[in-house]
Amino acid sequence: MAILSLAFKSLLNRKLTFFITLFSIAISVTLLLGVQTLKTETNSSFMKSISGTDLIIGSRGASSQLLLSSVFHIGNTPNTIQYNTYKKISQSPAVEWAVPISMGDSHKGYTVMATDLSFYDYFSFANKQHLKVDKGAIDDDMFAVVIGSEVAKKLNYNIGDQVIVTHGGGEIEGHHHDNIPFYISAILAPSFTAIDQTLIISLEAMEAMHTDNHGHFGALPGEQILPSDNHQAHSDHDEHEHHDEAIHEEHADHDEHEHHDAAAHADHDAHAHHGHQDTQEQRVARLLKIKPEKINAIFVGLTSPQAILSMQSYVNNYQAEPLSAIIPAVALQELWQFFSLAEVALNIVTVFVVLVGLLGMLSIILMSLNERRREMAILRSVGARPGHIFGLIIGEAGFVCFAGILLGVALLYLLLFTLQAPLASYYGFYLDINMLTSNDWFILAIIQLSALVIAFIPGWLIYKYSLSDGMSIKF
Amino acid sequence: MININNLRFAWQKEPIINIDALSIEQGQHLFIEGSSGSGKSTLLNLLGGVITPQSGEVEILGQSLNQMSSSQKDSFRANHIGFIFQQFNLIPYLSVLENITLPCTFSIDRKQKALSRSGSLQKEAIRLLSALGINDPALIKRSVNELSVGQQQRVAAARAMLGSPDIIIADEPTSALDNDHRQVFIKILFEECEKENITLIFVSHDATLKHHFSHHINLQELNQVSIKEAL
Repeated sequence: MAILSLAFKSLLNRKLTFFITLFSIAISVTLLLGVQTLKTETNSSFMKSISGTDLIIGSRGASSQLLLSSVFHIGNTPNTIQYNTYKKISQSPAVEWAVPISMGDSHKGYTVMATDLSFYDYFSFANKQHLKVDKGAIDDDMFAVVIGSEVAKKLNYNIGDQVIVTHGGGEIEGHHHDNIPFYISAILAPSFTAIDQTLIISLEAMEAMHTDNHGHFGALPGEQILPSDNHQAHSDHDEHEHHDEAIHEEHADHDEHEHHDAAAHADHDAHAHHGHQDTQEQRVARLLKIKPEKINAIFVGLTSPQAILSMQSYVNNYQAEPLSAIIPAVALQELWQFFSLAEVALNIVTVFVVLVGLLGMLSIILMSLNERRREMAILRSVGARPGHIFGLIIGEAGFVCFAGILLGVALLYLLLFTLQAPLASYYGFYLDINMLTSNDWFILAIIQLSALVIAFIPGWLIYKYSLSDGMSIKF
Repeated sequence: MININNLRFAWQKEPIINIDALSIEQGQHLFIEGSSGSGKSTLLNLLGGVITPQSGEVEILGQSLNQMSSSQKDSFRANHIGFIFQQFNLIPYLSVLENITLPCTFSIDRKQKALSRSGSLQKEAIRLLSALGINDPALIKRSVNELSVGQQQRVAAARAMLGSPDIIIADEPTSALDNDHRQVFIKILFEECEKENITLIFVSHDATLKHHFSHHINLQELNQVSIKEAL
């Protein structure tokens, strides 16, 4: 103990080199732990993208593609599945709930996802959290759109604003569905998942935009002026025999009801408070009550976890059309493996940074040895053993490294607390600040141990010096 | 007290010490005259048990250093011998008090002797300093770098005396002092060693100090190696 206190006092006597060494170790520790934290936080934020969903069903294809498009809204699946399939699957006894998802459109670069209201009831992320509404209310109106927090913030949107959806993913090439404007009914609270960068519309509205003439109901080829009233629109429709089956059926339905105008008006009145006038196409679409025909994916919750594998094999062998079902947790894990190479590279770099920090400490201790041979001779004369002198050096290195680790950890938390808010608001990345993990402790122990092992080099040198110098002071 | 027989020491096959016999009595004040290169620091290291001779025997207080392990020699040195060097005797990052009580870190014997004498190490340090002519008790908390060279040498002497060792070995302790301080320092050192019945071995190249001592030896005459070298 006495030797450690001597080592400590000796260090304080060399404040400048001590603090430089301390900071170089602290910074390398901060960097190493920071990378570890970033890694686990990225991983956990990635894994938190979806929870509570037992299976995601899409058309047959690569599981990662289905996961990327349905959960992360990255890329799109050109392959679709029949809405009827969704209905059949949702009626399957093992299925507790099933939510249809349809993609393909965008708004100013943000993904537009079509689903139905059950999405808000069943979709969950992180720790089985459901989406929360920040402003407004979720509206079952066909042309209501619910937008993610990021969309609202970046585009400065508010409740009631009008949104035009673009066909396809790009802002430039896509076809604007400007004849079917949406109004914003709700803005979601941040979930730090892809939903934050998403606009959610109804499946019916999506279908309305994507009927074979891109939703231009009632517009004859070559027609310049759109008919101004529904009645005419319908007579126009009568002449179009090439419409979809579904629309046709609905249409036929409507023909039988002579009071449809009144219904349309009632419908319209009901939404007058939005301050929007439905366009011609919207009015028609409302009347036709178009049902979606094709969707991209189904999120499925099962009655029991035991049913997952049998349900998955049932879906994979589905007769009516080629389907595949993925287990989100498993698929996420598989996808994460892709990043492992970058992870390894980052690890190697940070390990070298720590090594450089420790080598800096080594060189500073080595440089101090010569001027300290006098100190060692005095200690020898009052009865210190060569082992004490050795311990002095080891203790010094151990103390510098320990203080460096403490400072490094303090710096890390300072950095995390400083960066937490900006990361969340500018990058939509929620940094969860946790205690050091057992892995972190292990790394710190390794660093401390390496410092002690490295100190054996100057320790051994000074041991040799003190044996040969004895008490004689050599300059 | 101290007996040396047929002591031979060589460093890298170069003989440095070759002393047939030397005997020092208890309480003796011995002056060893030796210029640099005469092997005096080697002799002191041999007496302190820091280095081991190739042959011959060093016996101190009836115990043969040759038969001790190196760590036993280290504790023996800590318990029985106090050293004073030429200059820069003190550890710069320790206070005056910490420097004086440094031997207690390595010798429980001396710590207990100091405690039984004054009750606390601090009181004993103040007592020794005032005996050596430093009467300012506030000084012990100060950094040793603030002291004059004369004060530093007295602090070193106080450290060597703390806990009443049997022997004090002083290696050119006065060479950094001017003449007046030198006389005063030697006088005080003598008085204290006499009071405590400490054997004093004083090594210097300065023959003018010889007259203070009851016994003196010329190392160049004693050490047959250095005679050859001198020739």
